[in-house]
Amino acid sequence: MDYRIHLANRMLANKKGSLLGAIMAVSIGILVIHVNFVIFQGLYDAIIRDLSGYRFGDVLVTNREDVITEKSDVFLVNWLERIPYVEAAAPRLSSSASINVTKSGKTIQDFGVPIVGIDPFHDIRVSTVHETVKDGQYVFSRNSIVVGSTIARDLGGVNVGDNLKVKIVNRHGEDAIKRFIVTGIASSPGGQGFDNSVVIHIDTLRDMLDRQKETGQILVKLNDPTKANEVKDLFLRSFPNDDFKVETIEESAEQTLSGFRSGIAMINMIGYFGMMSSAFAVVTIQMMLVSSKTREIGIMRAIGAKRKDILVIFLFQGMIIGVIGAGVGTGFGLSYTFYAKETKMSFQGSLPLQVSYDWSKIIQTAIMAFGLAVIASIYPAIKATKLQPVEAMRSV
Amino acid sequence: MNKIYGEGDTKVHALVDVSFSVKKGEFVLVVGSSGSGKSTLLNMIGLLDRPTNGQVSIDGTNTTTLSDDQISSFRNSKLGFIFQSSNLLTDLTVLENTLLPRNIQHTDQNAMNEAINLLKAVGLGDQMNKRANKISGGQAQRAAIARGLVNKPSIVLADEPTGNLDSVTAETIIQLMKSMAEKLGQTFIVVTHDRHQFGEVDRIITIRDGRAFEGEDPPRKMEIKV
Ligand SMILES: Nc1ncnc2c1ncn2[C@@H]1O[C@H](COP(=O)(O)OP(=O)(O)O)[C@@H](O)[C@H]1O
Ligand SMILES: [Mg+2]
Repeated sequence: MDYRIHLANRMLANKKGSLLGAIMAVSIGILVIHVNFVIFQGLYDAIIRDLSGYRFGDVLVTNREDVITEKSDVFLVNWLERIPYVEAAAPRLSSSASINVTKSGKTIQDFGVPIVGIDPFHDIRVSTVHETVKDGQYVFSRNSIVVGSTIARDLGGVNVGDNLKVKIVNRHGEDAIKRFIVTGIASSPGGQGFDNSVVIHIDTLRDMLDRQKETGQILVKLNDPTKANEVKDLFLRSFPNDDFKVETIEESAEQTLSGFRSGIAMINMIGYFGMMSSAFAVVTIQMMLVSSKTREIGIMRAIGAKRKDILVIFLFQGMIIGVIGAGVGTGFGLSYTFYAKETKMSFQGSLPLQVSYDWSKIIQTAIMAFGLAVIASIYPAIKATKLQPVEAMRSV
Repeated sequence: MNKIYGEGDTKVHALVDVSFSVKKGEFVLVVGSSGSGKSTLLNMIGLLDRPTNGQVSIDGTNTTTLSDDQISSFRNSKLGFIFQSSNLLTDLTVLENTLLPRNIQHTDQNAMNEAINLLKAVGLGDQMNKRANKISGGQAQRAAIARGLVNKPSIVLADEPTGNLDSVTAETIIQLMKSMAEKLGQTFIVVTHDRHQFGEVDRIITIRDGRAFEGEDPPRKMEIKV
């Protein structure tokens, strides 16, 4: 091994406090970035996950008039499910209704709520709404209804098995009233699901609205979500004469997420500033190391080490600090990420973070921390080369 | 050669028209009271500092025009240094310290054997793998002598090498230097303020107020001028 690496190693090993300080500085810088990523990217991805799972799918097919009339849902679902990237597709139809319920002789009524019609067979393959039915089960028959937990509470505590009367104004402006049996209560962590809606069978809703062939939207779930744009383009190209509107989840969620994204950018900035301060800590520690080794530098120079050799020794020290710091920091960061993922970390009962390992970002962060540790060592190392052997040795 | 430190009021004329030459293989003692300019002289000869005017030639090379890197290489290959104390890098072992001039020179071949033989010759055969801060002051000076010799330099320079040692240890270090000088035909220039510890030597140069005189306790007019 080169004597300069060996000496750099030994000098650091014999200054455990400084070494530890420098490593902590570098690794905390990395940890902050990992924690930021886990929390904020995790929250961002969790929102996308839930919006896609509950409302939009990976791709959402609608119509410019918000009602698909030109093709039947059966036709469109079958057509879409023939695309290899598509795992499943499901129709939905939305409207609004008012509900009344009779509870222990008292009637609570005229409660305006959003109502969603779903096709149970297809919906459970596309959407995760059925997983939010914690009590009872999802819509399974023409007269079953799933009530969002917020509405259930506002109606004075609706339970599975209760009877509800739902009133809807149909396309002719007439009231359509139908009695349902509550089969389930939907409650999602973070309340992004159908906590504020009621869900019934899509055909029941069509009957009540007298809109027999109509579909509001078709949710499409992909087995490869990265192919969303291809599916979108394929669909639009195949039906050029119809007024279809197709959105990927990014487009559907854009409104919810655009503000969030600039927040993430700012948090990332803070993370990088944190790394910069780690670099300054490394500068300080390296300066201390250099001045504590003044005499050694003088001896080295006296017995013939060139300025370049001294430079190399302290740059090696920076590399050692960088490698260990990056390793330890990445280790901390991955441990935190692992913990967050395994425990499905969430904050105060809110939606669980969608934690992922972004390896390119992880490696990039580690390399950046290493690079900063080396860059932070340049100035102290140059300082060290400026020492004259006689000056240095007078410090004996 | 002259060496002037500082400017204006704080100016110190540390070496005044000093000029002499040393023959190969000579054991030269530089004596003089404290502050007379001995270390300054040794730093000039050792190329650790440059004279204000004049020149230092070693092995026929005028060192005045050499670059910093060339001077470093020159120090490495032509000069050995023994300082008053704290000669060694405490982060390394005794053997690693002894090997350092060879490592710097990148002539590691056979270096290990030569360093071990030198350490045995200076009586440190059983201390080689100790950390340099785990040995006594006398042992450290022995290691410094071994390190000073490992590159087979033209001159070994020693600045009060026994200054920090008790008189018994000092005596053995002096004997060691003299015997190594004799055995290897090695040129030594040794600075001391205690001439009597050294006994018989080839030559004595006295420094008095920055001027060099031939011999011990010389009269004023015997200043050396070549
Ligand atoms: N770097 C320096 N700057 C200013 N004056 C110095 C410096 N080094 C030595 N001197 C002065 O030069 C003179 C000779 O010093 P030095 O060579 O160390 O003497 P010695 O080694 O004989 O005790 C002293 O007066 C000392 O104060
Ligand atoms: Mg002196």
